[in-house]
Amino acid sequence: VSARRRPPRLIIRTLTATFVMVALLLVAVFVVVSLNVRAQVRQNVTTMLESSQRMFAQLEAQRQRELLAQAGILAESPTLKAAIDTYAAEAGSPEADARSQLLATIARELDKLAERVESDAIVLVDARRYTLASVGPFSADWPSGQRIPLPANPGGGGRFDGVVRAAGRTYRTVWVDLVLDDAPIGTLYIANLLDERYAATLAELSNARIVVADGDRLIASTLDAWEAQAFERAILASRQTDGTVSLNGEPFAFRRLVTIGDAGVYALGSIDASSAAATRQALGTMALIALGAGILALVGSLWLAHLLTEPIGRLSTSLQTMSRSRDARGTLPLSGSSRELDTLIETFNDLMMSVTAAEAQTEAAYTGAIRALAAALDARDPYTAGHSERVSVLSVAMGRTLGLSNDELEVLRLGALLHDIGKIGVPDSVLRKAGPLTDSEYDQIKQHPVLGARILRSVPFLAPHLPIVELHHERPDGAGYPYGLQSDATPLAARIVHVADAYDAMTSARAYRGARSSSAALHELWRCSGTAFDAALVEALTLSLPGAAAGAERPEPSVVHA
Amino acid sequence: MRLALVVVALHVLAWTPPAGAAPDFGAIAGVVRLTTKVRGNPIPTAAYSPRGVERHQPPSTAEIHNVVVYLKGVDYRGPLAVQTREIAQDHEAFTPRVLAVTRGSTVTFPNEDPFYHNVFSLSGSAPFDLGRYPRGQARGRTFAKAGLVKVYCHIHSQMSASILVLDHPFFAMPADSGAFEIERVPPGRYAIVGWHERVGERTAAVRVEPGVTTSIELSLPVDEAP
Repeated sequence: VSARRRPPRLIIRTLTATFVMVALLLVAVFVVVSLNVRAQVRQNVTTMLESSQRMFAQLEAQRQRELLAQAGILAESPTLKAAIDTYAAEAGSPEADARSQLLATIARELDKLAERVESDAIVLVDARRYTLASVGPFSADWPSGQRIPLPANPGGGGRFDGVVRAAGRTYRTVWVDLVLDDAPIGTLYIANLLDERYAATLAELSNARIVVADGDRLIASTLDAWEAQAFERAILASRQTDGTVSLNGEPFAFRRLVTIGDAGVYALGSIDASSAAATRQALGTMALIALGAGILALVGSLWLAHLLTEPIGRLSTSLQTMSRSRDARGTLPLSGSSRELDTLIETFNDLMMSVTAAEAQTEAAYTGAIRALAAALDARDPYTAGHSERVSVLSVAMGRTLGLSNDELEVLRLGALLHDIGKIGVPDSVLRKAGPLTDSEYDQIKQHPVLGARILRSVPFLAPHLPIVELHHERPDGAGYPYGLQSDATPLAARIVHVADAYDAMTSARAYRGARSSSAALHELWRCSGTAFDAALVEALTLSLPGAAAGAERPEPSVVHA
Repeated sequence: MRLALVVVALHVLAWTPPAGAAPDFGAIAGVVRLTTKVRGNPIPTAAYSPRGVERHQPPSTAEIHNVVVYLKGVDYRGPLAVQTREIAQDHEAFTPRVLAVTRGSTVTFPNEDPFYHNVFSLSGSAPFDLGRYPRGQARGRTFAKAGLVKVYCHIHSQMSASILVLDHPFFAMPADSGAFEIERVPPGRYAIVGWHERVGERTAAVRVEPGVTTSIELSLPVDEAP
């Protein structure tokens, strides 16, 4: 039984249950809210990226328009126009010298233009689209005399902005017709190579990653090879213009900044990189709130558990105290904490009261029965009528004088009532014999304590009274019967009853003698105190009988204590 | 090239010699027809449309007046009548835009606009620059060498004019109807050219007989060269 674990305290259980519930609730709320926050932040960042990309797209478009405007101004060079027109007019002229001079003029004018415009190539073509001259770092891609195809899908609507492929490379080009008297005489191209450098420049300007595509082919980008491949597969193939895309697990918001014929420039912004800080901050705040809520929940749970279990604990303690003191008469105080608990306590108190009443009743019935038995015994001999009752009263009086406890007094009272019960087994002829007893008769009388003990031994609840019945004829000097025990071997209760029995026997009449006076009896007791009787107990008897003792003559103390 | 149905038909008809035609010479006559615009609406030179800036619209000249019909490869040894012709600068345009003159003729360029103009040429036969001058002034140039002289203004880059200097008198500029006539042509075989400053030229063979006005058929534009 001791190996079995004791169940935990009520407060622990209550606390655990409450806290676990609250904690689970909090965790659920935290998870939901943080997911929500994450989604919100991502949405915001995506929108932000999109708007900045849109803005950049507009700036880029404006840049291109300005380039176009600049080209328009360049195309108004009178010398250039005159030279081109004259060169065309003299196509059939045999004067090669004059024509080469014109070409030189054209080249000189182009050089001047190149100084004013930063571009990879400035190309001049005649009215039939054959290259006349080109300048710039990539002019080698535009050799003279080569026909330049009209750019596919130049955008229409008067926009001269498109993609031209020359020498296997893709150029972003703006072009302007040179017009003389409302008729075109040639075209000026300002071409910029769509390459890694271009992508890098745009990336630096837009603070985003840049992809340049020609149709569904990626021609330049600031992505790494893997990402570029993924982007080409996912986006360029489907010709999406904006949205989000996951490259190697990293989400990007992308947008086509510029559409130039078949070609397009895309800007990509990493959503995670932009949202990480905001998300981290939001989650940090959330965690702080969660921590606070957790502490609050703990405190709240503790308070709640305390509220629930404290009155029960108090009740439990009261019951424990009551049980330990074996005092069923007390009533438990009401807790005042809850109606249910108070009802419980009231019911318990009622129950305890009825138990106490029943106990008293049982005790009374049992004491009455014993008293009747003792009376019946006493009634066998007219001389001993009422003897047991008197000895009992006297013994209790002595016990009280000696300061015994209630329990001990109760044992004394019943034990004294029953002390001569063994005389049932003594024949009337011996017991009621008027004359002096023979030795064998006296031996029979001496058997009554052992006899009584044997009778009572079969009744378990009389066990405390057995020593009184069995040993109430032992003497301090060891001359008593049935065992001849010394004083210290005989229980106090038995010794008390011994004295009280002797006193009552002496003060009662017998068939063979009259009753002695109480003072004579006391005198006799005093005389034999220390030998036949315990001196302290004789003293106690004296104190218990103040009336009787007053008239008594106390013998010499030296004799008493001899 | 614009899908222009530019058809300049030189309809050379059977023609009775006009009164007073010398019996030693023949003549060539025809009609030129233009059915479309050689130049369209001006092509925008920038994406920004020039709002609020009214473009000077020069007085419209029939495109037919920009055609010259002349005989090619004529070895003419007779006297050349020297002319003085005029190309005005009006509304930021040279008017007329095309002019044919005999060698030794002088062309003056009076400025009729309320601002400065310039006249220059890069052409190999007669490069020149008359400098800038204001309204009311006129400067001129004598062309001593046959050839095509393209003339521009250094201030207004869209202005241009063409002066065809010929060393013989056998040329004509069509009338509004397209009709033209070249008189007093010595009999023989010639190459006759219809030339337009933008569209190009068309050459045809013609045979001139004395006392006869030969009809010839030419058509412009020439097909786009490959």
